[in-house]
Amino acid sequence: MKKDSTLYVVLFTFIVCAIFVVVLAVANEGTKGLVAANKQFATQSAVLGAFGIPFADAADASAKYASEVTEEKSAGYRSWKATVAGTGYTAVEQSGAGLWGTITIILAATPDGQTVRGVRVLAQLETPGLGGRIEEPWFLGQYEGEKAPDGKVIMKAGAEASGKADADKANGRVEGISGATRTSQAFGSIIDAGLERIKAGGGK
Amino acid sequence: MKNSKMLTVLKDNLWTNNPIFIQILGICSTLAVTNNVRNTLIMSAGVTFATALSSMTLSAMKDLLPRKVRMIIQVVVMSFYVILLDILLRAYLPDVSKQLGPYVGLIITNCILMGRAEAYAAANKPLMSFWDGLTSGLGYMAVLVVISVIREILGFGTLLGFRVMPEGFVTWTIMIMAPSAFFFVAMVMWWAKTEQAKRETAKKEAKK
Repeated sequence: MKKDSTLYVVLFTFIVCAIFVVVLAVANEGTKGLVAANKQFATQSAVLGAFGIPFADAADASAKYASEVTEEKSAGYRSWKATVAGTGYTAVEQSGAGLWGTITIILAATPDGQTVRGVRVLAQLETPGLGGRIEEPWFLGQYEGEKAPDGKVIMKAGAEASGKADADKANGRVEGISGATRTSQAFGSIIDAGLERIKAGGGK
Repeated sequence: MKNSKMLTVLKDNLWTNNPIFIQILGICSTLAVTNNVRNTLIMSAGVTFATALSSMTLSAMKDLLPRKVRMIIQVVVMSFYVILLDILLRAYLPDVSKQLGPYVGLIITNCILMGRAEAYAAANKPLMSFWDGLTSGLGYMAVLVVISVIREILGFGTLLGFRVMPEGFVTWTIMIMAPSAFFFVAMVMWWAKTEQAKRETAKKEAKK
């Protein structure tokens, strides 16, 4: 068969593509379980982190998740309940628009939405090094135990922000990230929307 | 004989024909990932892996390859290795995969892969093409690491996540943003070209 004939070109392209696709399909199928387990661990560790339940590794996280957290599902949204040190908390998964893409967080608070327990970021596409810092412990740590009068935590973003963590837990205020005003504002409204949902009962 | 050929390829890809500062290929990823040394190392390792293996594969099948579909097949082979890398990262290094996010898929569009496939693998033996792809990747890595070390120190005050600058150090926000890489790539080019020109003249002088 001539190398430039149409039949050869079509056959060659078809065979080459088929071989590569088969190998990729096998690789994808073979790692499916691992990928799903990684994803599950990411969610479970975020929920445990938001509740402030410490865990050692993936197996420990999975065991604690099973024993201490109850998962609920209503209207397509996930929510969780857990009792830590005698107090009951509710956690919800909340998404909202960030600067570049959707930010998804797990927010835990008292069922009346008046005190935040903790926050973890599940997914975000903000600017690395600026808005991307919403994942850092100093920033998320501000929310731990923060009072939310009127069900809101005020975000001091933009010119008001000092760029340093707000240590006062009773004032219902957190500091935004300097250089990431829009992301900080977006994060603040996602938290408020999450508190609203917790107050309404976790679902909806 | 073989060794000297390998050395020539190595020297070419690292210095005289470096993909970044001479061929000016793969600049998009240089801007995107170099604000952090860890991401840079992973990204350039990915590019090295994909370039070496796709060059080798393309070189092995070059005698069977009809000219009409040459480019399409090249892209198929490159995407194959990049998707494979993405699957492996997602399964075994989920943290890294999460951090790199869309960048892994973008290796497919890294011009270095296509450049080496066209310029070298299309006319050389598979093993030499593998070596050429590997050293091209290393040439890319060397430049990127230098840029990312400077950017991470000035932008975050850290190196590979460890604090190296004093606590009161005011970080330079511009260093985190992509445009700052333009300054550094330009400075590296300036330095390399000046250095190469100097050596050229020195060689000529010696011959006289």
